[in-house]
Amino acid sequence: MAAGATPTHEEKDTESPKTSLYEGSTQFRHWRFSPEQLRTARTSLNTAAVEAIRNAFEADSAGSSSEVLFLSADEENLLVKLYVSKITQLCGLFRFPEEVEATAMTYLKRFYLKNTVMDWHPKNVMLTALFLATKTTNHPIPLEAYTSRIPKTSPSDVLDLEFLVAQSLGFDFAVWHAHRALWGLWLDIQSLPDISMEELRKAYETALTHVRASRLTDAEFIYTPSQIALACLSLAAPQIATAWATFKQDFAQSSPSSTPSAQPDSGLAAVLEFIKTMILTNGSPPNVEAVREVDRRLKICKNPEKVVGSNAYKRKQDEKERKAEEKRQRKAELARKAMAEGDPFGSELAKEDLDDDDD
Amino acid sequence: MFRAPLQRSLAAVSKTRQVGPQNTFQWTTNVRCESCIDRLFTLGPAPCPICGKTLRKLAFTPQTFEDLGVEKEVAVRRRIAKDFNKRPEDFPDLRAYNDYLEEVEDITFNLINDIDVPETEARIAKYKKENAALIELNIQREEQYAQYLKEQEDSERLEREQRAEELRRLDEEEREEREKGKQELIDKLETSDKDAIKLVARARAEAHKRASARIASSNPSLSATNLARARATQAAAMPDVPHVPIQDDWYAYEDKYVVRDTYDDPVSEAVRRDREGIMRAGGYRVEEAWERALRCAIAGLEIPPLQGLHAVESPSPDVVMAVA
Repeated sequence: MAAGATPTHEEKDTESPKTSLYEGSTQFRHWRFSPEQLRTARTSLNTAAVEAIRNAFEADSAGSSSEVLFLSADEENLLVKLYVSKITQLCGLFRFPEEVEATAMTYLKRFYLKNTVMDWHPKNVMLTALFLATKTTNHPIPLEAYTSRIPKTSPSDVLDLEFLVAQSLGFDFAVWHAHRALWGLWLDIQSLPDISMEELRKAYETALTHVRASRLTDAEFIYTPSQIALACLSLAAPQIATAWATFKQDFAQSSPSSTPSAQPDSGLAAVLEFIKTMILTNGSPPNVEAVREVDRRLKICKNPEKVVGSNAYKRKQDEKERKAEEKRQRKAELARKAMAEGDPFGSELAKEDLDDDDD
Repeated sequence: MFRAPLQRSLAAVSKTRQVGPQNTFQWTTNVRCESCIDRLFTLGPAPCPICGKTLRKLAFTPQTFEDLGVEKEVAVRRRIAKDFNKRPEDFPDLRAYNDYLEEVEDITFNLINDIDVPETEARIAKYKKENAALIELNIQREEQYAQYLKEQEDSERLEREQRAEELRRLDEEEREEREKGKQELIDKLETSDKDAIKLVARARAEAHKRASARIASSNPSLSATNLARARATQAAAMPDVPHVPIQDDWYAYEDKYVVRDTYDDPVSEAVRRDREGIMRAGGYRVEEAWERALRCAIAGLEIPPLQGLHAVESPSPDVVMAVA
């Protein structure tokens, strides 16, 4: 962004000693990134995964990985985006409310900031994320009822990944959604003087489609839900959005707790422009043909350690088994030694070498 | 000869205390059938036909437990407890008391399992001689305590009876009064030429007044005990500190929006129209949902996005305001 900053925001922030609710949320603390951070995270995740999978291939049979064309970070993202868009179809099938849909989409996107599609295919992760979202947003549905309506899916497909997904999310289940912010806008704009309800209704409808489109983008990782909602409204009805923003600014000035800012909030305007561009350029589902090509290649470059029945999978399991066995033996040895020394509870803690290895 | 043991349900265990300087304590279980005991020992002390010990009929006690081992242990413990009756307050510290308990248990164990019986008996005798005064004192204490418990129980029972009696009396009085009132009313209706409805109303008012007076007069005795009880529990309970809710330091954007009483809102229409309140059963209030939405619309509106790799708060760019 441009240099020559006006320090209005900092002044506002430091003025109130309390932490605002949004800044206390896990969404703000754990899932807020700069565009550069997002890109780096995805690239490094992809590089590490490719490295690991290449090694697995080589371990299976030397030289076999040279022909394989691994997925790039962008291709991975494309695949994820397709499955994010599929959540909408599934929610339509089950008649889940918007809250569930939006939450599941966020979960899926967040999951692939910590994992790669080459390890976990998005199809099952999507089903799990949606099932998890039904529970966290208080719209639970029996697992049987859920899987029986999705073809070629068994309850174990959903449950096997559930803990992994929850863990990747860092158990941050609460999400602040842009559609709720948009609802708030709809309500609050009614407080504006001389507003045409007919116009507002139309603007709201259009803005809602933009909010839905924004879920296919990275907007929620970079901007706050209120900013996204206002940008969507601004796309639909610019003059209403401007009127509301000005109204809010006047409102803030008239209230005694905040310092009056002399000029209109230019920072916000710039932010809104970025979001609008983002929604317009990235807010549509990906081309299915392109994704199909990616998916075809994914079949080849899947992590063999995660494919049940392959040599690498077996080797990985054996390795795990061996490590567990070693650990057990070490423990038994310690216990035996302690018994020999006459104290069944072992000697003093300080003398023991700390055996605290979680592989 | 005598019958085989345990043939009759009323078997007895022979327990005899030989008179002698050692004051030993012997158990024989050779004779257990009642008729045999009668036959052998009616004429005074006689030797046991099997082991030859001298036994008396008086020393036989009816068997309580099926297992003779238990029977014996109970008898031994009863005997030991009579002499070894010291209390915790008779010792300088807990350690001494525990040592004493251990010694008692040792002696009991020896007697039950017939280990070193002569030595153990000697220990008991020694203890008894040394602590004769204290044993006597503790026996008296026990008796006093038992007496005290008994008195308390008696007084409680008495009180209960009195209360029941009182209630019965009150009931009786009330019934009589009602009868009397009814009779009076009928008499008046017969003799007087006043309005019947008024008479009935006055009679009712009087009956009501009497009833409330009765309740007032009978209450004091009851409420006095209740009051005492309440005071006792109050003294035992913790003082009631005024509740202070947790004070958090969250800022919920209260100064940035005003919730109106009502909105044109299709989203919440179903909930607001729901007259029976089925949808609001769990405490759902549409005003709270509105407030949450408003808060969400304003929350973080001024937070600039992060910039660059190292997560610096981006300065707000100097772009001229052109919302939309």
